[in-house]
Amino acid sequence: MKTEDRFDLPQGTLDLLIMRVVALGPIHGYAIAQRIQQMSREALQVQQGSLYPALHRLEYKKLLTASWQASDTGREAKFYELTARGRDHLKAETENWKRLIGLVGLILKGTAEGIS
Amino acid sequence: MSWLGRLFARKRMEMELDKELHFHIEAQVADKVRGGVPESEARRLTRIEFGGIDQLKEDCRESRGTMGLESTLQDIRYGLRQLRRSPSFALLGIVSLALGIGANTAIFSLLNAILLRPLPVQSPGELLLFGDGRAVGSTEAVPNGSWRLFSDAFFQDFRQKDTSFSGVAAVDSTDFTVKASVTGSAYQTTHVNLVSGSYFSVLGVPAFLGRTIEESDDSTPGAGPVAVASYSWFQRHFNGNPSALGRVIRIESHDYTLVGVAKPGFYGVTVGQPADLFVPLSMEKAFSRPGWNGIGDKFFQSLYLIGRLKPGVTAAQASAETNLLFKQIMRSYLGPQPSQKHLADLAHASVELTPGGRGVSPLRYAFSLPLKILMTIVALVLLIACANIANMLLARGVARSHEIGMRMALGASRRRIIVQLLTESAVLALLGAATGIALAWKAGAMLLHMATPGPDPVPLNVSPDLRVLGFTLGVTVLTAILFGTLPAFRAADRAFTPALKDGRGSSPSTVRGALARSLIVGQVALSVLLLVVAGLFVHSLIHLADVDTGFDEHNALVFTLDSSTANLAHGPDEVRSVGLEEQIEGRVRAIPGVQSDSFAFVVFHDGGWSDQVLFQGIPRTPANGQDVSFNIVGNGFFSAMGIPLIAGRTFNSEDRRNSPKVAVINQTMARRFFPNRSPIGQRFAIGETPDHPADIEVIGVVKDARYFTLNEGRMMEAYFPCTQNPGFLSNFVVRYAPNANPQEIISPVRHAIAAINPNILVDNVSSLEEQVDRTLARQSLIAQLSAFFAALAVLLACVGIYGLLSYSVARRTGELGIRLALGAPMSRLLWTVLRESLILLALGLAIGLPVALTFTRILKSLLYELSPLDPVSIAIATGAIAVMTLAAAWFPARRATRINPSQALRAE
Repeated sequence: MKTEDRFDLPQGTLDLLIMRVVALGPIHGYAIAQRIQQMSREALQVQQGSLYPALHRLEYKKLLTASWQASDTGREAKFYELTARGRDHLKAETENWKRLIGLVGLILKGTAEGIS
Repeated sequence: MSWLGRLFARKRMEMELDKELHFHIEAQVADKVRGGVPESEARRLTRIEFGGIDQLKEDCRESRGTMGLESTLQDIRYGLRQLRRSPSFALLGIVSLALGIGANTAIFSLLNAILLRPLPVQSPGELLLFGDGRAVGSTEAVPNGSWRLFSDAFFQDFRQKDTSFSGVAAVDSTDFTVKASVTGSAYQTTHVNLVSGSYFSVLGVPAFLGRTIEESDDSTPGAGPVAVASYSWFQRHFNGNPSALGRVIRIESHDYTLVGVAKPGFYGVTVGQPADLFVPLSMEKAFSRPGWNGIGDKFFQSLYLIGRLKPGVTAAQASAETNLLFKQIMRSYLGPQPSQKHLADLAHASVELTPGGRGVSPLRYAFSLPLKILMTIVALVLLIACANIANMLLARGVARSHEIGMRMALGASRRRIIVQLLTESAVLALLGAATGIALAWKAGAMLLHMATPGPDPVPLNVSPDLRVLGFTLGVTVLTAILFGTLPAFRAADRAFTPALKDGRGSSPSTVRGALARSLIVGQVALSVLLLVVAGLFVHSLIHLADVDTGFDEHNALVFTLDSSTANLAHGPDEVRSVGLEEQIEGRVRAIPGVQSDSFAFVVFHDGGWSDQVLFQGIPRTPANGQDVSFNIVGNGFFSAMGIPLIAGRTFNSEDRRNSPKVAVINQTMARRFFPNRSPIGQRFAIGETPDHPADIEVIGVVKDARYFTLNEGRMMEAYFPCTQNPGFLSNFVVRYAPNANPQEIISPVRHAIAAINPNILVDNVSSLEEQVDRTLARQSLIAQLSAFFAALAVLLACVGIYGLLSYSVARRTGELGIRLALGAPMSRLLWTVLRESLILLALGLAIGLPVALTFTRILKSLLYELSPLDPVSIAIATGAIAVMTLAAAWFPARRATRINPSQALRAE
């Protein structure tokens, strides 16, 4: 049995991951991508092509708020933060996600052996 | 930030997006450099990893939600730029749309003003008109058939009994055109409506100033010498000064006090005949005309009745009750022992309740069908214009497939491309519509003038209102969708694959060809239809213009006189008017150049007076039982009109008030009563069953002459001398010598009249020819407009054919070049191209002619002595479209034969 060390994100989970990372404190887009990569032990790589539209979408939905601040290199960067609404949303979505994987796991339990 | 704020902050957002992405790239490069990669290589790798930055930006913009409006504005700007880049396409498109949309708007604004617009009254939907409003004037007949005019007695009795209506209003069907003077100032022509005391309250029209007419003004005859003005009359005479209330208005020697002004925009219920003043019906006697019994008579039926339904009562219930009451009340008027005939008439009588919210209008009946036909015609013209533009867009789509392919490769979605192309179409359509509305603004009034020529334009508001603008906007959007959709989809699909590979789209061109060809076939078919219709109308108009009027319309003038301020005697002393008329006739006859002259009750197309007559000892037949049209004339009438005498004599100075009563009749009347012998010396009486002796003696027979209209059938006519039917007649005919200048006759005639009585005013002077031509106004309007639109349709279709063939010749340059090089004769090439147009023409005719033959039947009632299948019109239409199609095809075909083979091959 062979496992991919990198794989594509299931639909809709990117928003959740971004909010989880932003929940740790104000952070800019590049760092969000880096952080997701690190936290997933290099298994998840977020493409800019999906990251920035997602950030702008979340900002438009008022789940994130943004401000321009100096980064560690001294250049100005756009830092994202969770809004109160975003915090509630993240909490609810995390619960949902956990319930979902619990349920999916329950169903898939033991099948890996069955298939191979 | 608000959505609009975002839109205005767009520049800032774009800058921030750039800055954000730039930061990302720099950070990534910096990371790579830190990892030991040389900077230039790091930059290159980053760029590869980053991917298409423009697509990314577009996705970011889209996820922000202002995309709709932003991209629409962008598309509009882009569309305008595209149009500026191909000005000839833009010009052709805008001009054809402007003509199409403008024509639709102009005809619709007429349709709206005449057929659709509701009266400015309260809840117009609740109003019901008794009868269909198609009669004007008065009748004394016992009701039979569908009844339209009602007596004041019936009005009073009906509203005491009925339970369906919350109120019933009455208004005299006649528009009284009189001279009125405000507190002693000069007399001016004024239109008066005689209305019941319930009129304003039932219609729900409040007073703008003062009060409206109330029941107390209308309670007893003569009770209400008051007047309510329309708002615009009030503005004209008093400039909105409220002190106008209480002023005295003098109309025909009676004084009325101005007590109020009606709400702005209300001109009475007759569309196209606005009232200046409203006077209570109780004053009817003051407006009485010679021969009128007036509203005291139970059978003097002259009123329109309009009822307002009670809440919860249906029109059907109201109709049932109204008809029941109508018969009961009319039966009670017939007395204890009515004749069998009257009872039978009444058994056939009924009242049809029709929607009254749009008022009554003589224009509506005359123009309802013509306007609907014209509306259809202009809609078809617009359709042809749409087909043309669709064809041009298809061709442009091919030409632009490179550009569109490029934009798709750069990340524009298919949906985005289609929306953008549709926006371009909408921009084109809107530009066309704006020009079209500007055209229509002027055209509406012009059309109205063409439809109803004459000294006084019909005061009808035809300027576009909200309904018209809404209609135009709807038409514009529909047009843009019609001509834009297919080409846009086709362009987006074509651009997908091959466009970038080579400059020419190859595979879809045959599909485009089929589509373009069917559009052309459709255009030809519609053009044939419009040409046949136009041909029929023109042919019918020619027939009408050739009609023998029976009188000589050349070298004669008709003066319309107004004696209302001259204070002429009514009643037994009316004979003095005859003296006045004879004085004027005598003095005018002395003017050099004048050959003969005469007063007349009617001249031609002035309305009329008719009734049945019965000769002593002649039984009633269906033919002689028809109404005879009457005229009252002076001694010189037949020579002034040029109506030839066939037998007997005309009136002369022997025919006085107290001499035996005499009449001159026309040939048709003579033939119907006396098929085998001379009517001279026979006596008749007026009325269906005259109760007085037949005392009018026929002294002469004249040739038939038209009375109401040119297309009327044979009618019986009788002329009476004015000496025996006294009253001042308002028409005065003057025949002048063929070599005299009519302008040099008019002013001496005016002077002669003024010298005899300065209070007799000349309202209008026109030639007899003008008076005849005016009756053709409707027919000539339809003929002119349908011919114009048919020509436009053919022109557009030809532009389409020319465009299609030019394009196909251009595409086939290579092929044609090879065939020329291989020795194909010129004529063969010419034929190849022409054949294409011939096939299109044949298909178009095959579809268009049967359609035309099926639908022209609708026009039957508008055609004069012409079958809707008139072969001349059909042949001319077919010939015209064939010639025009071939002419349009000829130029591209000739171009095909002039291809230089070597150049053509090199181009390939």
